Amino acid sequence: MAKPPKTGGRTAPTQAASTTPSLLASFFSCPLPLYLSAAFLRVVFLLYGLWQDANSPVKYTDIDYLVFTDASRFVSRGQSPYERETYRYTPILAWLLLPTAHVTGNPLLDVALFSSGKVLFAAADLLAGWLLERVLAKSMDAAAARKFAAIWLLNPMVATISTRGSSEGLLGVLVMALLSTVVAKRVTLAGVLLGFSVHFKIYPFIYAPAIVWWMDRERMSGPKASTKKPQAATSLVSQALAFVTPTRLQLAITSLATFLSLNLAMFAVYGPPFLHQTYLHHITRIDHRHNFSPYNTQLYLASASASSALPGAATTTDTPSIRIESIAFLPQLLLSCVLIPLAMAKKDLPAAMLAQTFAFVAFNKVCTSQYLLWYMVLLPLYLPRSSFLQNPRLGITALVLWVAAQGLWLQQGYGLEFLGRSVFVPGLWAASLGFFGVNCWILGVIISDVGRRG
Amino acid sequence: MRERITYVLKLGDSLPPSELTIDASSISGPEVTAVREDRLTIALNELPAELQTLVTGAQGLHIRWVGTTSSEAISPLLARLPPGFHVFFTPGKDDAVSQKLCPTLKDVFGGVSCSTPGESFTSLPKDRFSHSAALQYFQQLDSLSPFVQYAKDQLCGPTDAFCAARLDSLSTASSLDISYDKVQEVLKVTAAWPYQSQQVHAATLPGLRTEVGILSSDKFKTLEPHEIGISGLLTVLGQNKEPSPTMFSFPARHREAESTFSAQFLTPTGLHPTLQLRLASGTGPAPLFAAAADDGDEPACTPYAYLTLPRTIFADKYQLSDPLFLASKNLTALRYTTQPVDLEAPEYVMSQWGSSVLVQLSPPPPSGENGGGEWTAELPFHLRYLAPAQGGYAGISVPYPAVFWACAPEAGVKFPPNPFEKDNLGYDGLFDQRTVFWHVEPRPVDGGPLVNTVQVPVLDLDKAGWVNAGTAAAVLVGFAWVAWKLLGVYSRGGGAKVEADKKKQ
Repeated sequence: MAKPPKTGGRTAPTQAASTTPSLLASFFSCPLPLYLSAAFLRVVFLLYGLWQDANSPVKYTDIDYLVFTDASRFVSRGQSPYERETYRYTPILAWLLLPTAHVTGNPLLDVALFSSGKVLFAAADLLAGWLLERVLAKSMDAAAARKFAAIWLLNPMVATISTRGSSEGLLGVLVMALLSTVVAKRVTLAGVLLGFSVHFKIYPFIYAPAIVWWMDRERMSGPKASTKKPQAATSLVSQALAFVTPTRLQLAITSLATFLSLNLAMFAVYGPPFLHQTYLHHITRIDHRHNFSPYNTQLYLASASASSALPGAATTTDTPSIRIESIAFLPQLLLSCVLIPLAMAKKDLPAAMLAQTFAFVAFNKVCTSQYLLWYMVLLPLYLPRSSFLQNPRLGITALVLWVAAQGLWLQQGYGLEFLGRSVFVPGLWAASLGFFGVNCWILGVIISDVGRRG
Repeated sequence: MRERITYVLKLGDSLPPSELTIDASSISGPEVTAVREDRLTIALNELPAELQTLVTGAQGLHIRWVGTTSSEAISPLLARLPPGFHVFFTPGKDDAVSQKLCPTLKDVFGGVSCSTPGESFTSLPKDRFSHSAALQYFQQLDSLSPFVQYAKDQLCGPTDAFCAARLDSLSTASSLDISYDKVQEVLKVTAAWPYQSQQVHAATLPGLRTEVGILSSDKFKTLEPHEIGISGLLTVLGQNKEPSPTMFSFPARHREAESTFSAQFLTPTGLHPTLQLRLASGTGPAPLFAAAADDGDEPACTPYAYLTLPRTIFADKYQLSDPLFLASKNLTALRYTTQPVDLEAPEYVMSQWGSSVLVQLSPPPPSGENGGGEWTAELPFHLRYLAPAQGGYAGISVPYPAVFWACAPEAGVKFPPNPFEKDNLGYDGLFDQRTVFWHVEPRPVDGGPLVNTVQVPVLDLDKAGWVNAGTAAAVLVGFAWVAWKLLGVYSRGGGAKVEADKKKQ
């Protein structure tokens, strides 16, 4: 946080002499200081990471980055990226990182090439931040928009995740691009982006109902068309017919076409392993390893009794556990794909998407820290008018609770993972339910905020 | 049926022929400190029917059991394996025979928990060196008593006390080997007892050729560096009235490193236990021929650990590929691991027996501060989730590794099969056939068994009663809360929307 004023001072020397608030204001008065410091932050993290990797047995680079780059190496040899165990992504990711598989023999150049994927992810961060600023600028002045975009751009957690080589930054840019094209009413491009995002990481499919609901006739076809509309909305059938607008059809067709053609193309190249690793794995996986999800302990119990590893307990726990497991997606999808879009999308699309993501992650059967980044990119769009900022006490309470609940869980996780303590019940279970409770409360506040706007 | 009984004494120990008493069907002598090895060679037609179809239907079958009690190995019986029950199997053309393997093993050894070779066995590499079996299986098996019972039922008559006593003595054996020799069409069953003080005594039966040897390794002048010399007394019971002195030599791949190691898990073990190997000496053997000593930069002999890991625990080959990480643990490289090893699945959904790994260790440089002295190497592993259990913990046991120095093949040296050595040990197939193995003796600090145990935290079934209901209740309450908030928005917002529509009208 010490860096921004310094860079600001350099670009605007006249104001540098004045007090801190104007220094801060000058920092946001033009784009360059913000983006330079965001880039600088990432360069520093990247270089530090290279140093740590070269000098410590504990690596800065994320394991996932090694998975991606190994997969790219397979691709560069003309093989399938799915030759790499645990590569569970679209082949496009491995293709994007092909430069990392290139070896020249010059050690410095090779390190640079190997890190090129991290550079790509970090650049995606910046691009997502820029898109964020553009969307924000529609409802506030440019300086204020940059101030809120800085929550993403100068967030050390975001910078760490992308420079460690996690691909979540690419998703941030995709979601922001999707949102900004939707808001700009560029329907075809939005459809392509939606189809591509879902191909890339599945979960953005939740945005489809919100966008579709938001794209009503009045909004999409200007004031002239809206005058014609009301007379049609009489019977249920005509209401349903009125729902099917040309723009909604256009979005549905372009997104489906993009999604399907990408999948067909990938299937044609890599066959069943593509389908299995990228999509089906998420259905059949047994996520016994502890994570933040409220379902985690229950799933562990259920998977063991399903494989009849619990001869005595199987008869008593079998029936109810299997039932919970197979209906767990219901509250999650009902909230994130139906109820939230219906109630919120037309009032505030970005906030609705934030709430959808929040609900999807909180109610998911698996939840790791990376998933928390999925809603982080949407947060700056909601915060400006949120009661968390208007009532700082509420904001700080929410932040403290959110962090503390994770801290509590991590403490239990540490006891299990490193000290070998059997803390599954009640410790880890209670901690994950606690985090779930905090998430539900925060989600409730977000929803009420949007409701208040009427 | 032929039998070979050998008492192997230490180098320099010997027994004067005069101390042996030989009659028409037996030999006896004084107490000696020795390893006793009995080898029974059974012709195909002498085998029980179920074993006959099994061994003839297989391309190769080697069953090896090693006990968990640590004992000193005596040259030339030096080859070591991790304690437990090993099967090396090359299926034949008839799949029905393969399907019968596991049920037969269960009948013969009891407590063997494999289902079929396809499900439970793992493939051994066949690309580099082709001298090993195709499939591997391992599990812990502490006792041979089910085998003893099976053998008594099959081989001994109801009143045959001699036969029963011989088989009962297997309960104190340190190892048992069953190998089918395809060329000679014989099944060789070899049992060995630990190095200890014992009376020399052997007897034969009509129809059985029994040869008794009282041998020790010897260093004669004519010995080549890669050879081991043996001298002693041989007697064929019922034929010889006097023991005949004998002396012979053969090239030996398995040697004694004359050093020890112990293995212990560092505490706390957590879910990522580290097995620490403590080796008494960092100085390896010298190459057999002096000429090879300064050949190139690579040392000719390097230490290795070979592990058979039950499926509860595994090594992550990706973690073991970073040079800095490896160096921090005094490791050079992961030379081999069973493929594939699932890095995520819980133990209770797996059918594969586990995995074997070969790790090259990195001793401190001989010129360094602690060069040549005691040193440690750390092997990082990961635990799988185990089934929930009462009390919240489940114990697993991990057998000691086989630790040895392997010396690169030297020009012109060949190792034809010899009467005391075995192949198909799991690790020998991962090296060139002319590699020489110098075995380091496992010696646990507390003198306990050659097995380490780990307490694995699992979901406590005593406390898990509320998990299903509690999770369901929490999710329901959370859902209801969010839905209630949404209802608020919908009723308020929806109303506003209707009003707005009305105004437009």
